[in-house]
Amino acid sequence: MDYHRRTSVDEALPEPQGLPARAGATEAGVTGAGVTEAAAAGPGTRKQPGAALPAPMEAAAFHSASERILRAINTVIDGKAEAAKLALTVLLAQGHLLLEDVPGVGKTLLAKTLARTIDCSVSRIQFTPDLLPSDVTGVSIYNQASRMFEFRPGAVFANIVIGDEINRASAKTQSALLECMEEHQVTVDGKSYKLDEPFMVVATQNPIEMEGTYPLPEAQRDRFMARISMGYPDRDSEMEMLETHQATSPLTRVTAVVTADEVASMIATVQQVYVSRPIKEYTVALGRATRESAMLRLGASPRSMLQLLRAAKATAALEGRDFVLPDDVVSVAESVLAHRIILDRKAASTGETPQSVIRSILARVPVGQETAPAQARAGSDGGRSAARPSTLPTGR
Amino acid sequence: MTLTPQRSKAPGPSAPEPGRPSVPVSGAAAGPKGAGVEPWAMGLAVAVAVAGAALGLNGVLRGWAWYPAALTTVFAVALAMAGLRALRLRGVLVGAGGFVALALVLTFTFFRQHSIAGFIPSGDTMAQLLRYLRRASETVLAESSPVAPNAGIVLLVCGVLGLVVILVDALAVPLALPATSGLGILAILVVPAMVKPQSVGWLGFTGAAAGYLMILASSHWFHPNSRTRADTARNPGQLKRASLTGAMALVLTLLFQLAIPGFDQGIFPQGSRLNPWGSASGLNPMISLGNSLRSPTGDGRITYATNASQAPYLRSVTVDSFDGDAWAPDDRDASRQPGTGRMDPGPSPSVEEQVRVVTAVNTGQFTSPYLPAPYAPESVNGLTGRWSWDPATLSIKGVDTNSRDQQYVVASVAPKLTRAVLAESPDRTQAVPDTFTRVPASVPQIVRQTADTVTAGSRSNYAKAMAIQQYLRSAQFSYSLQSPVQGGYDGNGLSVLADFLAQKSGYCIHFSSAMAVMARLEGIPSRVAVGYAPGRATGSTVTIPGLGALPEYEVDARDAHAWPELYFQGVGWVAFEPTPSRGVVPGYATEPAARSGASTNENNDGLIPEDDLKPTAAPAPAPLPLPAAAGGDGSGSSLVPLLYGGGLLLVLLLLAAPALARGGLRRRRLKASGLSGAAAPAWAELRDLATDFGIPPHSSETPRHFSARLRGSAALGEPGGVDAPAHAAVASLSGDFERQRYGRPGTDSPAGNSLPDSLRGSPADRVELVRDAFRAHASWWTRWRATWLPPSLTARWRRRAWTPLRAVSVPAREAGRGAAESWSRVRDAVRRLRRS
Repeated sequence: MDYHRRTSVDEALPEPQGLPARAGATEAGVTGAGVTEAAAAGPGTRKQPGAALPAPMEAAAFHSASERILRAINTVIDGKAEAAKLALTVLLAQGHLLLEDVPGVGKTLLAKTLARTIDCSVSRIQFTPDLLPSDVTGVSIYNQASRMFEFRPGAVFANIVIGDEINRASAKTQSALLECMEEHQVTVDGKSYKLDEPFMVVATQNPIEMEGTYPLPEAQRDRFMARISMGYPDRDSEMEMLETHQATSPLTRVTAVVTADEVASMIATVQQVYVSRPIKEYTVALGRATRESAMLRLGASPRSMLQLLRAAKATAALEGRDFVLPDDVVSVAESVLAHRIILDRKAASTGETPQSVIRSILARVPVGQETAPAQARAGSDGGRSAARPSTLPTGR
Repeated sequence: MTLTPQRSKAPGPSAPEPGRPSVPVSGAAAGPKGAGVEPWAMGLAVAVAVAGAALGLNGVLRGWAWYPAALTTVFAVALAMAGLRALRLRGVLVGAGGFVALALVLTFTFFRQHSIAGFIPSGDTMAQLLRYLRRASETVLAESSPVAPNAGIVLLVCGVLGLVVILVDALAVPLALPATSGLGILAILVVPAMVKPQSVGWLGFTGAAAGYLMILASSHWFHPNSRTRADTARNPGQLKRASLTGAMALVLTLLFQLAIPGFDQGIFPQGSRLNPWGSASGLNPMISLGNSLRSPTGDGRITYATNASQAPYLRSVTVDSFDGDAWAPDDRDASRQPGTGRMDPGPSPSVEEQVRVVTAVNTGQFTSPYLPAPYAPESVNGLTGRWSWDPATLSIKGVDTNSRDQQYVVASVAPKLTRAVLAESPDRTQAVPDTFTRVPASVPQIVRQTADTVTAGSRSNYAKAMAIQQYLRSAQFSYSLQSPVQGGYDGNGLSVLADFLAQKSGYCIHFSSAMAVMARLEGIPSRVAVGYAPGRATGSTVTIPGLGALPEYEVDARDAHAWPELYFQGVGWVAFEPTPSRGVVPGYATEPAARSGASTNENNDGLIPEDDLKPTAAPAPAPLPLPAAAGGDGSGSSLVPLLYGGGLLLVLLLLAAPALARGGLRRRRLKASGLSGAAAPAWAELRDLATDFGIPPHSSETPRHFSARLRGSAALGEPGGVDAPAHAAVASLSGDFERQRYGRPGTDSPAGNSLPDSLRGSPADRVELVRDAFRAHASWWTRWRATWLPPSLTARWRRRAWTPLRAVSVPAREAGRGAAESWSRVRDAVRRLRRS
């Protein structure tokens, strides 16, 4: 559904927009608040939307590529393998990642490391209270030479966009990201510009209780596939961190371990992961449970169900499976759902957190293993219905 | 019953209306949309059901005279309710209308003279009603079935039937529980089933069943959920389900009646003589006599030891007045005298020779206000509680106690009777109270004629008595407990007596009352004694101080007996035995011509039988069973071991049922997984196996998580070493299941290609491997429970057992909510009113 929409846009804009190279975009960082230079890559690294879809990877290649990325991240950030894996999951599931925690636990470091391990364009936007939407999306300016307005792409025109301290900007600026994140395009002056693929926003934010923050609007939060809390490292990791990070940042030693094309292939692999009917039923049951829960004022949206399933597919692929298990859904459910739901006031006053509510729902919703007799029928059904989305990309 | 599950299947948003009587919508919703013929059909069905069930009351009430009144009541109430429903009134109003209709029709039928305009109850009606109800209660307490249909009891029956109509209607229509409405009909059927010896009878049963089926057939119009109507019409499996349910009910009924003793004949709970009040209790021993005799088990056992040469009759009370529809002992409370230590038997008989007998009685469980004692008691010692005695009849009655658990010693004295003594007795009796001589007002002609015919050739009182006894003991008469019941003259009373003399078949009450009434017609004072025939020797002895060891006898309910006592001037009350095959004929009452050794009787004691000479009076150790039951008993005794064997088998089967069911389930699953290679059956088996051994899977648990938990628990042993194959088997089973359930169809490789060689076997082998590991690590109790009472199975059964309850709980909750809502609405209205 989401996919269909994007497909139609692609059909509407069959040709690449021929935007200026990413390098220009980075230089146009109007705020000058630090647009980090990523591994310099030519315009060719940008995936052409009109080109044939990258072929899915072999299982072994996929495994080694993911291993390389994770190892690279883990050399920089000690003791946060789970967070690293989830970040990679979100990347492969074509989602956006929100890193939320108190200052100084390595949010930005994780975002930068993830960006660096991939040989692709990266831009960084430091969200400040005076940042404007045009700084993010780009602006049409009058070219004296050609006597025409020309579009100067904003910072979002990159494969990976790091939005640092996203909740320090006003809600107006935050909203500028809505269209890019959901539809992977920017519309300025009535003209739509396609963003690069793969496109991922990695945003960091402080908890909203901190001073000088604007809370993210619900619509914006809903567009992030997952929210990760880094959390403090354990004792040994912290010791090791003090040891290794004394002189230089380990970030400088990180080099790209996969190319953007490889990532695109990995994404294609993830898309082909099979989702059986019981899994869909289970996912829907989870969503309905959040909407019917008495402790929640706002349950999970259908989009979040879709993103939950995509994240589960990426998890399954990272596990080396070509089909989704309920375990995959369970493992990402908390990260995917917790930031979208809003607690009821009564539940909040009794000390419940979104995480605890999601956990209690997971402990309550039956996985439905008992329906063994219906298994054969359901399986064949699932096969038919599941075959459609997985064949769709190739049919494009 | 078949309708209920369908109801529960469609709980639907439309709440059943019972809970919200005050919500205005519900009344309209319950009524049929086009209120045409439906309410009338349902009303008719209810009326037919109740009236049909009431047919079974014939036999509880004598004759059919009461039935038109009952029919009027039932139809008036049912059709009144149907009419109100056709007007689409609310359910509550329809019910109230039913009550009003019942009150009006009862007033019209019974109190036309004492009401306003013939049908509106007034204060006078209430007074009459109380009088009728008192009469009804007297009837219930004092009379035995079939009772004469007096106005009181008929009013009661009509009122109850009308209430049942309202109940059945309420269950069937507004509550929408047509199957449950059978309870109301059953309530009617229970009465004849309990009271009548031949149970409900085919008439009542057929009528009730036909009406019930009509209710069920009409009920679908009134279903609160219109979707179900369409469903039932279209449902293809309905016939199959219905026939299956019916067949199962039939088989169970046939099997259970074999297993439960007492259900040996008839169409309804026949033979189950539920008697929670103990044996022979109540005010009227005459009522319980027939039932006691017919009771298959002898309860109310009394033991007694006596120094008489033969076991004496035990007499508890006499029936003196033969007026009225039903005879009952006169309690004679006015003339009773307290204290039983010394009793005066009245004017001393002129017979010189007296026979003194000492009898020690233990009443055990026998419960009656009257004390059984041999005639004629002179003193009774050892009683607990206060007792009184009546000088005229010498019956002993408890003032504030009864005969339960009494041990006492009776000293009785009786004149030594011979034929000669009796023959010399003058025919004119004096000083006998009028009660014993008064001829009943309306003696049927047949009784009078018979008495005249029988005694035609006799002159003295003794000769007349002997003639009557001889006539009753002749071959024309047969002893039968059943024929009075079948002939409709069970019980007692003058009309019964007429029937008995025409049919010439009955039991002791009929014989003794016939002789007593005929004796009175012939001018001999008479009364009927009720008590026990001589019992059987138990073989043990009881030692009484001063008398030494005495032989002990026992009697129980089956020995209950009635016999006539005739008064002879100068001799006193003399017992006779007109009942063939029961009791013993006293020596003085035997025909001299019929016997060879008459002279040997001269020395016999009064009331002491001559058993060796009279074949009919032979001491039958057990009283003869009723003829109809005799054949049944004979075959029953040969069936008993079979029955018990079958019962034992059934019990064993029942005990082994969980194990058998579990084993069958396992075999089916493993066979299925072996045939198709499907992993789901094997996985289900693994889950159940784990449940059996104390690691139940949670419903919200993923297969992988469950498998990990299983392997992490101690039940499967350590991962390495001996139990490694079991661990690998669990992992492979869960892997296979995951692949089949969640994997891409068609690409799975069921056998688990990454398995070690030892596990390449079928899923069945792997399940067995896991099972062995479980068994090896479980305690003996867990092992035993897993085999004989598998928790997986019991949990499933429990779930199924709760399902109907859950189905009920939803409407119940909705009803509660509706009630709360309406209550709050009422409260708000009241508040508004108060404020304004």
